[in-house]
Amino acid sequence: MGFIKLVIFGFIGLSVIYLSMSLFFRSVRKENLEEEYDAAHPDDGDRAARDAFVADGLKAYDSSIRPKLIGLVYVVPTVVIGTIIYAINAA
Amino acid sequence: MDRIKTFFRVLLFVVIGGFLHYTLPQHDIVRVTSTEIIRTDFSGWNRIFFASADAGSAEQNTRDLRLLNTQKQDTWLLGFVPRETESVMVYRNEDTGWGWPFYFKFDSADLQAEAANLARGDDWAVITHYGWRVRWASIYPNAVSIRPVAGPDVSIIPWFNIGFFIFLGIAALFVRAMWRQFLERSVDPLIDKAEHQIDEVQAGVAKRRGRLARWWRKE
Repeated sequence: MGFIKLVIFGFIGLSVIYLSMSLFFRSVRKENLEEEYDAAHPDDGDRAARDAFVADGLKAYDSSIRPKLIGLVYVVPTVVIGTIIYAINAA
Repeated sequence: MDRIKTFFRVLLFVVIGGFLHYTLPQHDIVRVTSTEIIRTDFSGWNRIFFASADAGSAEQNTRDLRLLNTQKQDTWLLGFVPRETESVMVYRNEDTGWGWPFYFKFDSADLQAEAANLARGDDWAVITHYGWRVRWASIYPNAVSIRPVAGPDVSIIPWFNIGFFIFLGIAALFVRAMWRQFLERSVDPLIDKAEHQIDEVQAGVAKRRGRLARWWRKE
């Protein structure tokens, strides 16, 4: 029973962390892309080109490995718990 | 107002500090003198200072509690005055199972056997434990593990706590960065937009008022 409770609430908690981290890293990437474009094209009023550059960059980001690494949020605590169980209970 | 703020800050610090002091592992240098089992009737308010019944068994309001009686080497007074005295310390030995605090301890019976073995001799041992001994509430720190050491002067480095506080610091910085990014990218643009709209409305009102004033003057 305790195990089920831990799994359910742990999953909910980690999902909240996973979602907020996904949003955060994507937002940082977007900001960097915008700054990159602005640095390369100073005083350039072409909004469409800027939007296209940012959209392309985000698409590349989405298909790269970096957003997938956020999945470690689920893996690391599981490994840590396994390690603690071993360290505490192995004589 | 500043005083109230300071008061609440100190209160928050004490509560969080107390929580961590209760929950994080600490090490005591002891000689186990005996092991014991007492029946315990939990009351509504001291129940939270006990963990759970042996993993896998039913939870009752009354159950047996494993205790370890020890002679404990006193730590330095207030952290910096050395002293060579001993005092008694009693630990409980309970499973935490899958629940809080997350020690995932299932081997209480084994630990009791180890302690009983140590109690036969007069050797020093290090007990890792969490929790407090409070006499008037009859609560005990929960022993998590025990290992024999050469003597009472052994120095112990709290690796887990070092790692934990580094992790806590990183997590706090991370949350701060996330919060700032959220404000900068999601909240600020909304506020800017709202301010812009208010400006436009005010400009519109001013214009209409001007028209009204001119019409009034014409009369």
